[in-house]
Amino acid sequence: MSAPGLLSGARTVLKKELVDHFRDRRSLTSGLLVPLLGPVLFTLMFTVLADLSRKDKPLVVPVRGQVHAPSLMAFLERNGAKVEAAPDDAEQKVRDGKLDLALIVPEGYGRDFVAGRMAKVELVVDSSSNKARANVRRMERLLEGYGAQLGALRLLARGVSPTLAMPVHVEEIDLATPERSAAAVLGMVPMFLLMAVFIGGMYLAIDSTAGERERGSLEPLLINPVTRAQVVLGKWTAVVLVSWVSVVVSMVGFSVALRLVPLQDLGIRAQLDAGPMVAMIAVALPLTLFSGGLQMLLALFSRTFKEAQTYLSLLMILPLMPSMFISLSPIEPKTWMMAIPAFSQTVLLNNLLRGDAITPLWHVVSAVTTLAAAGVAVGAAIWLIGQEKIVFGRGAGTS
Amino acid sequence: MIEVQGLHKRFGSVVAIDDVSFRADDGVVTGLLGPNGAGKTTSLRILSTLIMPERGRAMVDGLDCAKDSLAVRRRLGVLPDARGLYPRLTAREHLTYFGQLHGLTGEALERRSGELMRLLELDGVADRRVEGFSNGERTKVALCRALVHDPPNVILDEPTNGLDVMSTRAVRTLIKELKAQGRCVVFSSHVMQEVAALCDRIVVVAKGRVVADGTADELRQRTGKDNLEEAFVQVIGSDAGLMS
Repeated sequence: MSAPGLLSGARTVLKKELVDHFRDRRSLTSGLLVPLLGPVLFTLMFTVLADLSRKDKPLVVPVRGQVHAPSLMAFLERNGAKVEAAPDDAEQKVRDGKLDLALIVPEGYGRDFVAGRMAKVELVVDSSSNKARANVRRMERLLEGYGAQLGALRLLARGVSPTLAMPVHVEEIDLATPERSAAAVLGMVPMFLLMAVFIGGMYLAIDSTAGERERGSLEPLLINPVTRAQVVLGKWTAVVLVSWVSVVVSMVGFSVALRLVPLQDLGIRAQLDAGPMVAMIAVALPLTLFSGGLQMLLALFSRTFKEAQTYLSLLMILPLMPSMFISLSPIEPKTWMMAIPAFSQTVLLNNLLRGDAITPLWHVVSAVTTLAAAGVAVGAAIWLIGQEKIVFGRGAGTS
Repeated sequence: MIEVQGLHKRFGSVVAIDDVSFRADDGVVTGLLGPNGAGKTTSLRILSTLIMPERGRAMVDGLDCAKDSLAVRRRLGVLPDARGLYPRLTAREHLTYFGQLHGLTGEALERRSGELMRLLELDGVADRRVEGFSNGERTKVALCRALVHDPPNVILDEPTNGLDVMSTRAVRTLIKELKAQGRCVVFSSHVMQEVAALCDRIVVVAKGRVVADGTADELRQRTGKDNLEEAFVQVIGSDAGLMS
């Protein structure tokens, strides 16, 4: 009878951990369903948004007092709005959200208009309604346009160039490529991918360390003629594999979601081809090696299963912070920043998603530093797992 | 063969074992008897290479537990204080897992697992997950797991703790069997009857020290008591923590 070699010993541990893990319903939910949460949320959110701002819908304008402003009505109709009579309780209907807006033309409009005085129209809106915002904005633009057109005509009629009344002309030059505006929307994809990295292996990382000790099975396990390194490497590989599965599930979920969601209705062109998808998974992989090691290290250090859960839940928030930060205040990434695990992956995933040019150096720096960090975490876990206080729990072992 | 010389170990300011020495020969059942907290489990954990003593040496078949831990573990089967089973694995999978960690594979492993489970009457539940097992069945699985690699030395920490009569009998039969096979068996207990019924030699531990070492007859002679229980109480100095 010979002792198993380093790899076969680790493989035995790995196999057992995977079998054990996949028999556990709780772990399956956290490993497979939670990564799908992102794509599902994404689909729901954008389906609703797209429904709300479908541009082909004509703008319906309920108007009270149409007869007082026939030329305005004609202008609206010409510009694609559908003018109809406003109900008597239009104000109430706007307040209740049943109407997005209502236009009221007072009786004195025609008189003021003819006399060249400022003619007043009232636009009834509820500025707190998100749903109405797009239509209100369209209506305001139409009214401004009408006003500007009339003003220009009046100046011309008096022999004045309308440009005199417009000392400054602002012309917006939108530099956003369709991919860039899509990236703003797709910023949540990397965030959810990173979450999948951390959440995928989290349960197994706890169960195979703090859980193993709490069950009392760490002691018999370590009495086997295998080294600490074999035990930790086996468990770590299991955690990493499970977390890979989560990432891939999440990635596939997003690519399906992007196909389902009518993003083009929102004016966004976004799609995930197989190429970028594989690249994104490849960027996330080194991080799973690190997160798995770090999670095991923290869980080993915790006194109980519950304590480990608390630590690892907090740990999960950390990699999400760069995503949130970047979405709030975009920064110009520098090469040295690629040495920060989780942060570098956030930047690189966003770049891939946006279709930006790839900087190979960044990918190398990111992968190397993350792998080094993974090595340190795993090394520390190997050292820690053999400590008397860790095997038997701190404060135990006086009998 | 197991030999322990002058073991000393403290946890923080608490002295767990002060000075423990004993020797357990092959083909002999050696009982470690003592009240709870006497230092039995710590001594056994040092033998199973998981704890380093501050002073003294623990040897298994002439190998130092602190220096040759892997070689020692190969020659040792241990039933720890906590049985430590995996709820979602079956009894057979427990044996397979530990057998593989010992380098056993294929048919040899299957045969050995089958034999052990038959011996401890586990064959009826061999392919069930252990989460529904009784205390007795759990201990039996842990025992089979400890013996799967056919170790020449066997350490059992309170093997009959919490077992019903039938399971206790099965465990006793197994211990006798292990002895008959010429193995070195060390088991700890705070149950006197257990020790009296099974042990060829008794090492009495109290407050981290060995206070008596010999056969049951020698103990009775030394203390001048006919009754083993009273002999124990005499050498320990009190009856706290002992169960008759």
